[in-house]
Amino acid sequence: MINASHKRSDFIERSMLSALAFLKEATMSEEYANRKGFLQSLDPRFKTISLLAFLLTAVSLKSAVLIGILYGLCLILALLSSVPVRRFLVRTLLFIPLFSICIVLPTLFSLVTPGEPVWSFQVLGVSGILTRPGVDGAVLFVVRIATSVSLVVLLSLTTRYSELLKVLRVLGIPQIFVLTVSMCYRYLYLFATMVENIFTAVKSRVGVVSRQRQGQSIVTWNIANTWNRTTQMSEEVYMAMLSRGYTGEPRLLSEFNAMPKDWVWLLCALIICAGLFYSGHIL
Amino acid sequence: MHIPDGYLSPATCGVFGAVMIPIWATASKAVQKTLSVRQVPYLAIGAAFSFVIMMFNVPIPGGSSGHAVGGVLVAILLGPWAACIAITVALVIQALLFGDGGITAIGANCFNMAFVLPFVGYYVYKLISSGSPSGSSRRVIAAGAGAYFGICAAALCAGIEFGIQPLLYHTANGQALYSPYGLKVAIPAMVAVHLLVFGWVEVIVTALVVKYLQKQNSVFFEGGRS
Repeated sequence: MINASHKRSDFIERSMLSALAFLKEATMSEEYANRKGFLQSLDPRFKTISLLAFLLTAVSLKSAVLIGILYGLCLILALLSSVPVRRFLVRTLLFIPLFSICIVLPTLFSLVTPGEPVWSFQVLGVSGILTRPGVDGAVLFVVRIATSVSLVVLLSLTTRYSELLKVLRVLGIPQIFVLTVSMCYRYLYLFATMVENIFTAVKSRVGVVSRQRQGQSIVTWNIANTWNRTTQMSEEVYMAMLSRGYTGEPRLLSEFNAMPKDWVWLLCALIICAGLFYSGHIL
Repeated sequence: MHIPDGYLSPATCGVFGAVMIPIWATASKAVQKTLSVRQVPYLAIGAAFSFVIMMFNVPIPGGSSGHAVGGVLVAILLGPWAACIAITVALVIQALLFGDGGITAIGANCFNMAFVLPFVGYYVYKLISSGSPSGSSRRVIAAGAGAYFGICAAALCAGIEFGIQPLLYHTANGQALYSPYGLKVAIPAMVAVHLLVFGWVEVIVTALVVKYLQKQNSVFFEGGRS
């Protein structure tokens, strides 16, 4: 009974943890982005384009070995950029790639992927055969996903959010959209803090929630309340923007300054991508 | 529901990115027409709200808890076109800044969650609630039904996107190059889990939030977007 009650109160803890995880993640990323390192020293436009080129290469290549080379490069870049490798590995390998391994496990066997057998075994009277296409496909899938996730995480860890959002303009995203994204990101801090405060208050007033319906009622009432606060806030923000001279034509300041080092790095990145594509073609 | 990088081929990602461009353009025009210069703060805060819904964990039968996507709720509150932009903004932030959902798969993720989910859900809601008074329980049921059909339709689309990968992209010896399961596995896997579990979380959140908003601010449901 006590366990069941505790379980039903988990939603409070989980909601608080979700909000805290967001705030922690955002703070931690800014901390790494402010450190001195190789990727941090690059112009954000060149860094983003080069890492996106690596990402496109990783999702296009059909050889696990070649994608593995990109993964190795990603780890070297993390080391050169003062990102702790252990934390980087935990963040990049623990969730999506681990989930992908679980998804891909059945495809190792002849029942799902027929082909040349590489290993057969018998457990509790049940026999299984691992096939070459199954193993190769699973390795390729997991290596590609681990590399893709690592490249994106490397980009977000070594770039300040304000810079990353400005880079969207370079990629041709309309200014109005970029402004909306950047304003939304600022409000996320506020709302995450609001969610944390709401559930801290709920926990301190209600304690253990024993009925499922009561729990659902608390959460949905708070979502509705958050909506009411957000609509009020959007009016206030709009009025504040008007009072500061906003006419519907947003202007973003660009402070980027490309150095010769940025061009050299971009050239190197493109040569690496071209080399990997060429190797993938002749292999 | 968020498709990471590497699950879909670059060609599939490109097709969905291309499909989304006219949808985003139409959404921008529709929103600009109704909101004018008010659109930026309104959409930014709407996007932040759709992001934050996922932080609220709801108790579900069995003693566990889960979070809702909230796409249909946002569509009921903002209208489907504004919801399309608000959810896109939330998905871009999740992909770019938190690595949740792929950057290359952003077109496919937006098609499923920022287009199919809010539009299917919104029109199911409109169909059932049409002609009902603002404080009626039919609107609550309509919101729940819209949320259920919306998320299941989005899951079906994701299942089809996964399922076509091994048919289109494989080596000569049958090795899958991207998502490894065909349509017969991917569609039931994606749809069943949403029909049986996640769909109901969506129903609880959407229906109850609409019910509370009816009580607190029933004017909101009189005319206008909803």
